Amino acid sequence: MKAMYLKKAELGKLISSVQDSGALFVGPVVDAGNVVYKEIGSASELTGDYIIPVTTYKQWVFPQTEVVATFAVTKEGVDLDGVDLDPPDVVVFGARACEAASLASLRSVFTWGEDDEFYTRREDRITVITVGCTAIDDECFCTTVELSPASTTGSDIYLRETTDDEYMAVAVTKKGEAFIKAHHGVFHQKRAAEPELVELKLPEPIKGIKKEKISAWLARTDNYQSELWPRLTRKCFGCGACTFSCPTCHCFDITDEGTAFGGERRKNWDACQFDHFTAHASGHNPRDTQFKRWRNRFMCKFKYYPDKFKTTGCVGCGRCIRVCPVRLDITEVMEEISQISE
Amino acid sequence: MSQENTEETQATETTETFEPKIMAFVCNWCTYAGADLAGTSRMEYRPNVRIIKLPCTGRIDPLFIIKAFENGADGVLVSGCHPGDCHYTAGNYHAKRRWIAFRSLMEFTGIDTRRLQFSWISASEALKWVDLINNVTDEIKALGPFMDFKNLKG
Amino acid sequence: MEKALREKARELLTTGEANVIIGYEWNRRKTRATPAFITKADEVDRLIFNPLCVNNLSIYLTRKNKDILRMGKPAIVAKGCDIKNIVVLISEGQVKREDVVIIGMSCNGVVYKQGLWKGELRPEIMPVKCHNCDVRNPHLTDFVIGDHIDFTPPETPRGMVFDKIAALDAKTPGERWSFWLEEFSRCIKCYACRQACSLCYCERCITEKNVPQWIETSAHQRGNIAWNLVRAMHLAGRCTFCGECERSCPANIKLNLVNQKLVLTVKDAFDFKSGYDEKIHPPMIVFSPDDTENFIK
Repeated sequence: MKAMYLKKAELGKLISSVQDSGALFVGPVVDAGNVVYKEIGSASELTGDYIIPVTTYKQWVFPQTEVVATFAVTKEGVDLDGVDLDPPDVVVFGARACEAASLASLRSVFTWGEDDEFYTRREDRITVITVGCTAIDDECFCTTVELSPASTTGSDIYLRETTDDEYMAVAVTKKGEAFIKAHHGVFHQKRAAEPELVELKLPEPIKGIKKEKISAWLARTDNYQSELWPRLTRKCFGCGACTFSCPTCHCFDITDEGTAFGGERRKNWDACQFDHFTAHASGHNPRDTQFKRWRNRFMCKFKYYPDKFKTTGCVGCGRCIRVCPVRLDITEVMEEISQISE
Repeated sequence: MSQENTEETQATETTETFEPKIMAFVCNWCTYAGADLAGTSRMEYRPNVRIIKLPCTGRIDPLFIIKAFENGADGVLVSGCHPGDCHYTAGNYHAKRRWIAFRSLMEFTGIDTRRLQFSWISASEALKWVDLINNVTDEIKALGPFMDFKNLKG
Repeated sequence: MEKALREKARELLTTGEANVIIGYEWNRRKTRATPAFITKADEVDRLIFNPLCVNNLSIYLTRKNKDILRMGKPAIVAKGCDIKNIVVLISEGQVKREDVVIIGMSCNGVVYKQGLWKGELRPEIMPVKCHNCDVRNPHLTDFVIGDHIDFTPPETPRGMVFDKIAALDAKTPGERWSFWLEEFSRCIKCYACRQACSLCYCERCITEKNVPQWIETSAHQRGNIAWNLVRAMHLAGRCTFCGECERSCPANIKLNLVNQKLVLTVKDAFDFKSGYDEKIHPPMIVFSPDDTENFIK
């Protein structure tokens, strides 16, 4: 499919066209001083002035809280009812290339062994429209983890800004092609000269970081007990903001809410940074101090994930660095590991 | 729980004979005994109140009150021994400090403080108990169902 | 100032008066201050102190951070506002005064947003707590680093938080309720507020108790309201308005408003301000027969 064009001024048309088709339109908006993804009604709510939203759009494939079953306690016993899962179509506009790559990672977890339909049905109905980054900040490090603002992994449609206030749209997947076809009234083909594209901004890869060295170092089991872990990460106090803003973190907890007469079973986000995450009923906690929990998050991203799923565990979006109240920088740990294994 | 609530809410909204649900957290030694005396003396009062007995008002965590509202209470009544009469000497004084802070918090977050009432009722004040329940019931009936909490999305 | 701090740190570590210095150091890019744990005298040059040192390090004195307690006797680099939290920890029996060396830092104010810091401290870039700070010269210390600062805070506290509280107080209950519903709806239940707070030191938080489940852990309106109200209540008479909860909140919930409201309430009702005297009991564990009764029938 040839590249198509979309006028920025006509985003409103695209939004109504999407809404007319019955889908939700999600995009970056300013909310309480933060840029976050939100379902929007009109183009005026959208903001274009952002590096990357604070939150991820994973909540549309993996909601913070969702009912997975309901139960009622009757005289005869307990009635258990499943939920009919029929998620709406969702269009995410303005995603970044880094986090677009995360859906593949999430999918590999939620289809490992059994398909988790609560995830897969939602993911099947989401269309990701990525906009190439024209601004970056100190925390961006996608190029260090072998991605870049130009990567199209996970995007259905990839947009580049042009100098004449348009987007150049390239359909990356079949879903993306179908989307452009379905909303063909909004997209148009350029007739005159080729438009000039706004240059992408790429973060400088962090020189000290060598991914292969990290993998090799993590593969050696004695390094699990390395003094590096407590030394670099004991300042973490386990708030979990990193995991909740991470596009690839996927842990959840199952909890029952209700009364003696009935209620619902819910699936809620959980985080390996919480001290009760690994607490056993006996009272024993194998990850009894914070650095062990932090080590787990790092190992999960750079060892367990790649080993098990051959997909990336960290997409370099830098959110965990931005939200961290103690400024624990994952790239500093990556750098230190790369260097000690020289 | 949420299901039960919505059904109830709809029922109460559509009828004019709204009967509020009032939770009373009372202490074992004074107010409960007072309510008991009202019962054994065959005094009649509004049936809208559901009593939960605790050892002392000092045991009443503000969380109980939030939980009561969450579970569909239209009003909450907290009652215990008069100052100086606490079975444990000072439990009610400690409780009072907590209530001062909690009322301020409720007021600040916009929860109607008329739905949360406090009183001191001794073991001999069956009449005061009867009057209080009747008055509180009337007052909360006039306020209508507590939609702020019932409308919360679960 | 940093020189004096490093010298003091070196001295404490060499004499063995302290085993670990809990202070601040630069991150790799030297854009942000981050907590540091210095155990060797030859590493004290990593220590820094400047207005980007915003973290309230007293969190590392609590039993939530057992591995840090195991490092030995701590010496903590603390601004006046951080010392307030240490005072509360001492008065609540969490820390013994003799078990911690407090290196008090004279402080002219901090800057939350690193982007605003251009090497010069201006009032417009400082948070509200700094404008009303009466402990720029730290009040409970073993040593003070830095010169005496002449600064008198305004008689009645001023700033956005106080204006907003007054504005909310002037609204109808319905308007306040919708304001807070909107604020708390953003809560994602990551509990950063709790973890950042040195006074939230319970090893098992009420929200983690699930038999019965008192506070619904789901991030829905009901669960969010319950959590935020209960946390505010648990800090009544204790919160020192250090602002770490709001700073840590990834959803920018205005937690300072509820907490400061209760600080004001406690001041009015019990004439108590938290964090000044470690020998006085916190207001919620004592009482006075003269406490107001005007709301009790």
